[in-house]
Amino acid sequence: MFGRSRSWVGGGHGKSSRNIHSLDHLKYLYHVLTKNTTVTEQNRNLLVETIRSITEILIWGDQNDSSVFDFFLEKNMFVFFLNILRQKSGRYVCVQLLQTLNILFENISHETSLYYLLSNNYVNSIIVHKFDFSDEEIMAYYISFLKTLSLKLNNHTVHFFYNEHTNDFALYTEAIKFFNHPESMVRIAVRTITLNVYKVDNQAMLHYIRDKTAVPYFSNLVWFIGSHVIELDNCVQTDEEHRNRGKLSDLVAEHLDHLHYLNDILIINCEFLNDVLTDHLLNRLFLPLYVYSLENHGKGGERPKISLPVSLYLLSQVFLIIHHAPLVNSLAEVILNGDLSEMYAKAEQDVQRSSAKPSIRCFVKPPETLERSLEMNKHKGKRRVQKRPNYKNVGEEEDEEKGPTEDAQEDAEKAKGTEGGPAGVKTSGESEEIEMVIMERSKLSELAACSSVQEQNTTDEEKSAAATSSESVQWSRPFLDMVYHALDSPDDDYHALFVLCLLYAMSHNKAPGTQEPSVPGSKGNSVRLTDHHPRTALHPLPRPCTPCPPPAGSALLTPAAGRTPVEVLSSALKQSRVTFAPENTPYLVRLPAISVSYEITNQGMDPEKLERIQLPVPNVAEKTTYNHLLAERLIRIMNNAAQPDGKIRLATLELSCLLLKQQVLTASGCILKDVHLACLEGAREESVHLVRHFYKGEEIFLDMFEDEYRSMTMKPMNVEYLMMDASILLPPTGTPLTGIDFVKRLPCGDVEKTRRAIRVFFMLRCLSLQLRGEPETQLPLTREEDLIKTDDVLDLNNSDLIACTVVTKDGGMAQRFLAVDIYQMSLVEPDVSRLGWGVVKFAGLLQDMQVTGVEDDSRALNITVHKPASSPHSRPFPILQATFVFSDHIRCIIAKQRLAKGRIQARRMKMQRIAALLDLPIQPTTEVLGFGLGSSSSTQHLPFRFYDQGRRGSSDPTVQRSVFASVDKVPGFAVAQCINQHSSPSLSSPSPPSASGSPSGSTGHCDSGGASSSSTPSATQSPADAPTSPEQPQPHLPDQLVIVNEIADSKPSKSSARGAEVETAHLSPSLLPAQQPTISLLSEDAADSLSVESLTLVPPVDPHSLHTLAGIPGPPVPAAGCTATPDEEAACAEH
Amino acid sequence: MAYAYLFKYIIIGDTGVGKSCLLLQFTDKRFQPVHDLTIGVEFGARMITIDGKQIKLQIWDTAGQESFRSITRSYYRGAAGALLVYDITRRDTFNHLTTWLEDARQHSNSNMVIMLIGNKSDLESRREVKKEEGEAFAREHGLIFMETSAKTASNVEEAFINTAKEIYEKIQEGVFDINNEANGIKIGPQHGATNATHAGNQGGQQAGGGCC
Repeated sequence: MFGRSRSWVGGGHGKSSRNIHSLDHLKYLYHVLTKNTTVTEQNRNLLVETIRSITEILIWGDQNDSSVFDFFLEKNMFVFFLNILRQKSGRYVCVQLLQTLNILFENISHETSLYYLLSNNYVNSIIVHKFDFSDEEIMAYYISFLKTLSLKLNNHTVHFFYNEHTNDFALYTEAIKFFNHPESMVRIAVRTITLNVYKVDNQAMLHYIRDKTAVPYFSNLVWFIGSHVIELDNCVQTDEEHRNRGKLSDLVAEHLDHLHYLNDILIINCEFLNDVLTDHLLNRLFLPLYVYSLENHGKGGERPKISLPVSLYLLSQVFLIIHHAPLVNSLAEVILNGDLSEMYAKAEQDVQRSSAKPSIRCFVKPPETLERSLEMNKHKGKRRVQKRPNYKNVGEEEDEEKGPTEDAQEDAEKAKGTEGGPAGVKTSGESEEIEMVIMERSKLSELAACSSVQEQNTTDEEKSAAATSSESVQWSRPFLDMVYHALDSPDDDYHALFVLCLLYAMSHNKAPGTQEPSVPGSKGNSVRLTDHHPRTALHPLPRPCTPCPPPAGSALLTPAAGRTPVEVLSSALKQSRVTFAPENTPYLVRLPAISVSYEITNQGMDPEKLERIQLPVPNVAEKTTYNHLLAERLIRIMNNAAQPDGKIRLATLELSCLLLKQQVLTASGCILKDVHLACLEGAREESVHLVRHFYKGEEIFLDMFEDEYRSMTMKPMNVEYLMMDASILLPPTGTPLTGIDFVKRLPCGDVEKTRRAIRVFFMLRCLSLQLRGEPETQLPLTREEDLIKTDDVLDLNNSDLIACTVVTKDGGMAQRFLAVDIYQMSLVEPDVSRLGWGVVKFAGLLQDMQVTGVEDDSRALNITVHKPASSPHSRPFPILQATFVFSDHIRCIIAKQRLAKGRIQARRMKMQRIAALLDLPIQPTTEVLGFGLGSSSSTQHLPFRFYDQGRRGSSDPTVQRSVFASVDKVPGFAVAQCINQHSSPSLSSPSPPSASGSPSGSTGHCDSGGASSSSTPSATQSPADAPTSPEQPQPHLPDQLVIVNEIADSKPSKSSARGAEVETAHLSPSLLPAQQPTISLLSEDAADSLSVESLTLVPPVDPHSLHTLAGIPGPPVPAAGCTATPDEEAACAEH
Repeated sequence: MAYAYLFKYIIIGDTGVGKSCLLLQFTDKRFQPVHDLTIGVEFGARMITIDGKQIKLQIWDTAGQESFRSITRSYYRGAAGALLVYDITRRDTFNHLTTWLEDARQHSNSNMVIMLIGNKSDLESRREVKKEEGEAFAREHGLIFMETSAKTASNVEEAFINTAKEIYEKIQEGVFDINNEANGIKIGPQHGATNATHAGNQGGQQAGGGCC
């Protein structure tokens, strides 16, 4: 047996593998180990293979034979590993050992096995072993090993790693030393390990972590993040021509990674860790570096600063990602209500006090490396130093001394010991700790209501500083002012976009799940500033959130009484608006500027405005006011965007619309003041004018119009994604060469300007409609649900069909009937179960179709139908590419004409609808419909009509199809009637303009009617500024088309004032053509015989609907439509 | 060990689809697949040769870390290639592909090469997902596709190497910014440096296809 095994070890013969996995083989390997306790050049390979094989057998044993593991335990074989490791045996052996350990811990399934492996501290010895970490492979295996171990951590196993008596937690402390390792995968692993550790709910361990490691780790982490931010800022500052974008986007992604990591820690919701972390983030990073950079009154001096856009951008990210209530509340509170005295006071402090009083709120390098801090910690662990403890002294001068950090921790620990409970962190009464807003717990709760509010944010020093500072008397909010100011910039929207994002992010900041169950007394409005929206979703309406009674919605950490007035105060103070709790206003006067509690953030980061946006219930329900200041600025942006040379990017506009809606839409309707609404309508009008300027008959305009609508609706703005894009950090550019999304830059060239104008129009139109509570009825031009789709079953009894053979590109061949609808062409196959019905095998939009003849075959046509482009820049993708072969030349010509005409007509009709949307005069309808220009144009190619009774009738009952539905019910009937009544050509002749008031004329022009009538709704939508638009009394209108639509609107219930027009606008395009004359092209005498005489008008009108419309002069006359019914039967029969 | 490039991969997919087994199977030939042994590892590295160049693949399994958004996010970002694995005997693992892919697309560098892998192809009798379905999914989303078996080692080699080839091609085309390590690609430590060759000798001799 040995022989065989040996040979396997040496060469690995496949055959012997059966025996490799056995207890015997393990025994043999044990033997090898005992013989080779010393690593030498000679036995190295043997040892490596032995160790590897042991791994394999152990895992096999774990899965198949427990005796294997018993042997391993019995012989204490783990010791051999350790022994080998300690001999500095070189990389090769190290890597093997680490791989073995990885595999062991990854694969072992039995708990007892795991416990054994972990006992005896062997594993900890390996963890602290000083590997050669400069070797990237060793590093990778090592950190993976730690990560694998961390995944095994739980309340039971944690004791194998954390030793309470010696205060050792090698797994954690060794791991965090690599938190800033240059290799990203290593950093990620470190983060994973820390998160896995924090997740374990073991009090002793967590206390250790907080007391002994949290400060060094977090302060270094925060410094690390901040350094990246400064680099990022440099990158923005030094950018030329967007050349730094690659690097910039990495730095931004890195920042996002950090924020997500911090958020993941906070979400674990380990309370005291969160306190320390929040403190560091706020006071060492977010406030001093981000927020204070908002204010640029020079005085900053040496403190590190970043530029305004970067700061706004990063703050938006913070609010979008981090939802830890104490953190975001405090941060928002400073931004919205903080004043300069706070900042300067602190700045002075920084200067004046050196290390005696630790600096407050500044972004400074930790005095020592994390590794060193941890070492010191360990050594000093047992010593009691009687020093002024302060665990936040990381900002001190390096040479001052190293001690304080540890001392502070010790002290904190001590304090915790005495106080116990969750209030642990704070305490020993040092005033400087009070600055840690969030840490205020039990202590503050005892304080008097009002004063407590003040205490929160200020240290003693600050308070005195504030007192002496004259500014504090005035209520100045430099940061908020800055934010507003940035919105005002007339030249471009570089800053405005960030401001909007920031406001959006603040107002959508939502605490996921149960965030702070452990906080005593926390409840209600204090904490969740949010409760609104899931991160990525956009909601037009603010929703009511968890109810929280205003007064009881107490402070997170302090009694409610202290808070509420302040909230009120802040809102009242804002010059503009209504205070909703006037009785509280006196408080305003008494409170110094900085004292507003952070809770306010709930209620109003900004006075009136944010109350609206995010205030939990009380206001949402009975919201009556909004922030006029902000609304006006938003509307100004919209106005600006609608100018021909407006410098507002689409993203900015979209965000403005969102924010405005958020502010003024309530459950019960829109509370926008008339004056603002009028301004907004003005902007909308401007946008209409702007598009008109670009409106051309060109084909491409229609395509762009529809493209833009699609891309706007399919990809609504996601602010979080927007703020992940580094490219917006650079000043807005107009060139597409940068590869920046169209919506995030300015347009370049006429095409893009057109697109932009269209998009602006859509957005403002949509906003306007929503604010009025009106539904969109005219867009999109083609609604998906109105189209014929593959597998629809249609009644073709009255349709004109042309038989053909469809040869697809890949050689497939099929017999089909070609039918041309008003907007679509379709290929149908007779339905076997019902005579005269057909199943749609393909349906494509005529407007996206191309038809060309085939050179050498006069009976064939090449037809391509493209899929509507999903994005403006994507290449058109053909959904059908085929050759249609007809039975003879004539049918081929007819088909070609029909298709070509159909295409033109479909496009024209859509253009007319656009014209209507833009309140443009309708073009002469004759042209569009091909009527009145002579028999050649009038007779041919009018779209064929067939009805899908089953689907249409039932699928969308709410839509105003009833007229046609009724037609649908008796398709044969209507046609028959027509034939009887008017075989005369006269019906086809009336030229629309002359036919005003004449029902027959009107029927002929239903499409233009749809278009023209649609202008009415747009007029009604803007009653304020559209006095020109005629409304109800249609009879007087020269435009008979409107009447048609009125008629068409048979929907009895809904046709209220605006109902009629709106409804018509709603009419699906494919339904409108009911009024279209149709011709059969398949009569026996073929094309030649096609003449006016063959036209028969189909009545578009449901008599009932006519009756419902009083005052409309149109008598229910059956309308045009033409068919030689026998023909299609013949056609069907033919095949 | 000297290499021209180092590519970082991640392996993603539902638990139990055999990610870590694939990883071990590829990175360490010494562990031969046996029917009664399921063995995997979360990290591995291996040298391959493409176009005459030594390329080191470093593969990180992300298993067990899905609960942390920050972690998955960072992993995706730091990788040049991803193997998206499902189990052909479990339909649900196939159904979840869309979610995985969305995640990957959202977080990763847009140039990241993603390979779709239907694992456990040895269990033909229990197959629930047809090969054609995998192919269709891959085609639809522009992925490379392959069915593999970590148990029989079938196609494992190819899966990793084809992914590497694709990345390599992208480098040649200049799509990847190789000076930016955030892409998951690293240029080797000073080509042809003396210590590198030394290490190469040492490792080449010992590493029976192994862990280096």
